Amino acid sequence: MTVAVLVEGLTVEFGRFRAIDDLSLAIDYGEVRAVIGPNGAGKTTLLDVVSGVSRAKSGRILFDERLELTRRSEAAIARSGVRRKFQKPSVFEALSVRDNVEIGLGGANDAGSKEKVAAILETVGLSDHADRLASELAHGQKQWLEIAMVVVSEPKVLMLDEPVAGLTDEETERTAALVRRLRTPGRAIVVVEHDMDFVEAIADRVTVLHEGRTLFEGSMARARADARVVDVYLGR
Amino acid sequence: MWRRSLLAGLLGAVVACGPAAAAFDRAAIAAQACGGAAGMTDAANAMAAGLVDASADDAKWTVALAGAAIDRGLKCGPGGAMIVRSEGAVNAVTLSPVDGGGGTSPLLSLKNRPLFETVRAAATLRSGATADERGAALAALERRAGSLPPEFFEKAAETEADAGLKARILGVGQAALLNSPDMPKRIAAIEHIAATSDRRALTRVDGLKSDPAYRTDPAFRGAVDEGVASIGRWLALSNALNVFYNGLSFASILFMASAGLAIIFGLMGVINLAQGEFIMIGAYVAYAVQETLRAVAPSLIDWYLIAAIPVVFVVTAGIGVAVEATIVRRLYTRPLMTLLATWAVSLLLVNLMRVAVGTQNLQFVTPWYISGGRLLMGDFIVTWNRLFAIVFAAVTLALTWFVLKRTPLGLNIRAVTQNRAMAGCVGIATRRVDMMAFGLGSGLAGLAGLALCPIYNVNPQMGSNFIVDSFMVVVLGGVGTLAGTAIASLGVGQINVLIEPLYGAVAAKVIVLLMIIAFLQWRPEGLYAVKGRRK
Amino acid sequence: MIAPKKAYLARALDDRVFSGVAAATLLAFAAVALWPGLSGYRVNIVGQLACFALLAVALDLIWGYAGILSLGHGLFFAIGGYVAGMHLLEQSVATTGITPDIVQFMGWTALPNWWGPLGSFSIALLAAVAVSFAASFAFGWVSFRSRVGGVYFAIITQALVYVAMLLMFRNDTGFGGNNGMTGFQTIFGVPFQTPGVAEGLALASLGALGLTLVGCRLLMIGRFGRLLVATRDDETRLRSLGYETLRLKLAVWCLSAVIAAIAGLLYVPQVGIINPRVLSPELSLEIAVWCAIGGRGRLAGAVIGAVVVNAIKFSLSATLPELWPFVLSALVILVALIFPNGLLDIGRWRPAMLTRPGALQPKDAPS
Repeated sequence: MTVAVLVEGLTVEFGRFRAIDDLSLAIDYGEVRAVIGPNGAGKTTLLDVVSGVSRAKSGRILFDERLELTRRSEAAIARSGVRRKFQKPSVFEALSVRDNVEIGLGGANDAGSKEKVAAILETVGLSDHADRLASELAHGQKQWLEIAMVVVSEPKVLMLDEPVAGLTDEETERTAALVRRLRTPGRAIVVVEHDMDFVEAIADRVTVLHEGRTLFEGSMARARADARVVDVYLGR
Repeated sequence: MWRRSLLAGLLGAVVACGPAAAAFDRAAIAAQACGGAAGMTDAANAMAAGLVDASADDAKWTVALAGAAIDRGLKCGPGGAMIVRSEGAVNAVTLSPVDGGGGTSPLLSLKNRPLFETVRAAATLRSGATADERGAALAALERRAGSLPPEFFEKAAETEADAGLKARILGVGQAALLNSPDMPKRIAAIEHIAATSDRRALTRVDGLKSDPAYRTDPAFRGAVDEGVASIGRWLALSNALNVFYNGLSFASILFMASAGLAIIFGLMGVINLAQGEFIMIGAYVAYAVQETLRAVAPSLIDWYLIAAIPVVFVVTAGIGVAVEATIVRRLYTRPLMTLLATWAVSLLLVNLMRVAVGTQNLQFVTPWYISGGRLLMGDFIVTWNRLFAIVFAAVTLALTWFVLKRTPLGLNIRAVTQNRAMAGCVGIATRRVDMMAFGLGSGLAGLAGLALCPIYNVNPQMGSNFIVDSFMVVVLGGVGTLAGTAIASLGVGQINVLIEPLYGAVAAKVIVLLMIIAFLQWRPEGLYAVKGRRK
Repeated sequence: MIAPKKAYLARALDDRVFSGVAAATLLAFAAVALWPGLSGYRVNIVGQLACFALLAVALDLIWGYAGILSLGHGLFFAIGGYVAGMHLLEQSVATTGITPDIVQFMGWTALPNWWGPLGSFSIALLAAVAVSFAASFAFGWVSFRSRVGGVYFAIITQALVYVAMLLMFRNDTGFGGNNGMTGFQTIFGVPFQTPGVAEGLALASLGALGLTLVGCRLLMIGRFGRLLVATRDDETRLRSLGYETLRLKLAVWCLSAVIAAIAGLLYVPQVGIINPRVLSPELSLEIAVWCAIGGRGRLAGAVIGAVVVNAIKFSLSATLPELWPFVLSALVILVALIFPNGLLDIGRWRPAMLTRPGALQPKDAPS
């Protein structure tokens, strides 16, 4: 089985601050991987570098064991099938919900595109709001809309940055169900999240980052039992 | 040209009769003076040679005789030479009164006139009653120093009482030595002159390239070439210093104009297009202070620049706070609309000033402490008005740094700049910080206006001269650091001043713009941007 | 997703204000064409207003849709204007043989040889389009490539137009310096005083405005327009969905520049002069002011703003010219504070917006 994302010796610096320090990591197809850790551990920076928003100082990132991502533009990375949802819900507020999802589909104008958009809107539960402006949506709906925009192109690697931040418990549960449904054998899902119950509900494996390095990798249950993880992040 | 050949001829004459004329023979000289054109030349040369060791009395006599010859008061009659003055005639040798008999005035030829004038001036230098009189004589001698025996100036300096004049006499003597027949002395003189590196020294030494010795004597040629090169080097250095100095003063004004822009931009993400008008208002307030002092306390008028500092700051900061509170604050999420609104403010301010005061340039008193300057080396003059702007900007930089790093306001400004939401959460009144920072930035611009009024024209449109350059400083320097602003100001200021004399002011602006666009390719965030991840 | 053609055109006219402005343009066209009683002065004013409206539409494309504010659009207007000036001078010399003043004060013996081809209108039009395209492409490419945007972009474009003005003020730049170009005698071989010339020019300007309005509206309600709006709202998001926003921005930026150049090309024959003052940063700022006052992002607002502001300016310049700057600054501040989206928002305005600024405000693109 090929590895979806292979990170090797990755280092990212902002000025003198080392956000990611010689990090190595492998994410397989078919798994939901949660990346957790305290603030400043480098979680979002990791997603930024994989998606091309930030640049690595050294190291490499292989997608599908064939594509080196660190020198590619954001758009090229996205087109190759690696897509991410941002931490702060980022939707195009002046456009309708449907337009947002259509843009997520990219340039494809084939016969099935209309159906794809309708199907994904159905999946995230926004079919009734398709013609409203995105700015009129509630916070949770914006999170789902952004997931829809990212997922409609059927990416092979899907990265979600804090998908349940600011959601109610019920919305969190719905999001967890959505993530489980998006999990397919041909897709790797990376989730950065602080909500441990949500992580437990969705993740196959967790990676705990601390000060830009991997502190722990394994199942959520074992993470909860690991002394170092408890010490730096989960608390007693 | 004729003067040069004359000098050369003269030189020969002096050499010929130099040692023989050590004794000062008045009668012989007076007789020669009546001996036609050739005799008069001999008389002048004898006097010139004799003046080296002449007594003060002899020198006075020489003044009288040469003066008479020049003013056509010399009469050559059967009874010998006489000098006819308004109060009566005197014997030309003894200067004792005689009966004014007949006689003719010898005609001073075109060739002899400068000789006699030189002799009179040289004699006056030895015997003049006041330092001023001797100084004037020295000034007259300066250009003809070569026609006198080289030792003359050394002797004259020995007997000179005034220290300043003494130094000048020695300087002129050195110049005279340039034409000395004694080659080692000439070369020494060249080296001595080359040590003071101004444009006059260059002309002098460079002029020696047409001297016959330049072609014939390799040692002389070497000394001249070396002297010209050395002066040239120093002149180039002093020119560079001049450019650097002017650039520094421009950069100082630019820094004060841009520091406020950069602080506000870092804090609120808006550019205040009225910043140039705050500069203008600063200069106008300084003018108002000057006029108030003129009316109230005329004796203190020289101090208006100092007295205006707090007034300018308070007034411009106050206007800034008002603009922030009424306009900028309400456009908080719309930085581009803020551009337009602050432009409208600038339009309003310019036209109000036009209507209220008029469009003419304001007349500023130049206080004694910023007038003139000091010649440091070569052509490099440190002018006090520019030094005032530089020192003023340095002090402003230090104070602003202090405010930002060491006061509660500065801490708040830095906190809000880095994370507005978080700063708000920990209880910082972010809107109040905005207002204060806007006031600070406007006040700094006002101070820039104060600092530039001794250097640049002050009129309602003046703000537009600085605004584009200060934008460029903000773009180049990035936001949030004073160091970036200071370095960018220096860069933009120096480049402007450096290119201006070579290709003109317009080319300077074009090149600054192109360089900034190129620079942004390399570092889009500016020189000192704080890097971080997005969102 | 492409809707059937007819529906597409109908959708373009959905916006009532847009339909109104389009109809008004058509009406003005008909009035100039058919109403013989209209004075030459009025016709000329209508023509100039149409050019300004065209210029405002150009700016609205990039500011209103893509969120990129240019404070240097006078540069492209001037490119069109100077090309028109050279064309008209060549024309005048060819048809009347009168040596224009520019030859004298530039110290030439004749117009420069390389101006020759510009005597043909089609080459002049091509030149205006090509030069404005090349200039905007070069500047846009280096700026957008290094992701310069927002306030930075605005002030760099302002510096650009300022530097261009300084250059053109110099005589040795070769375009008439301070005096610019004037003394045009004929257009298409017809003397300017001939009845019908003013009408023809006004009709050309109105026609260009109408076609541009409809064309741009069709473009903006389509996929390209939606992507531009998406760029404005969140450019990073759009890039991370696989779009090269550089191309989008560059495309609309160059389109906008070319439209501005055409506006300049049409404007100069109607005022009979082109000089470096069109390059003053104030004029470029005023274009943005027209859009802001009319309302951004709907094309119609740009036209309304340009016409209203310039109509006030024209009427004041005859009676109280010194009042104009005060009126203009008051208008800008008023609109900025009270009608955040320009005059188009008058209907939606509520007094509560005074105390809650930002309630209805459109967001600027993040800088």
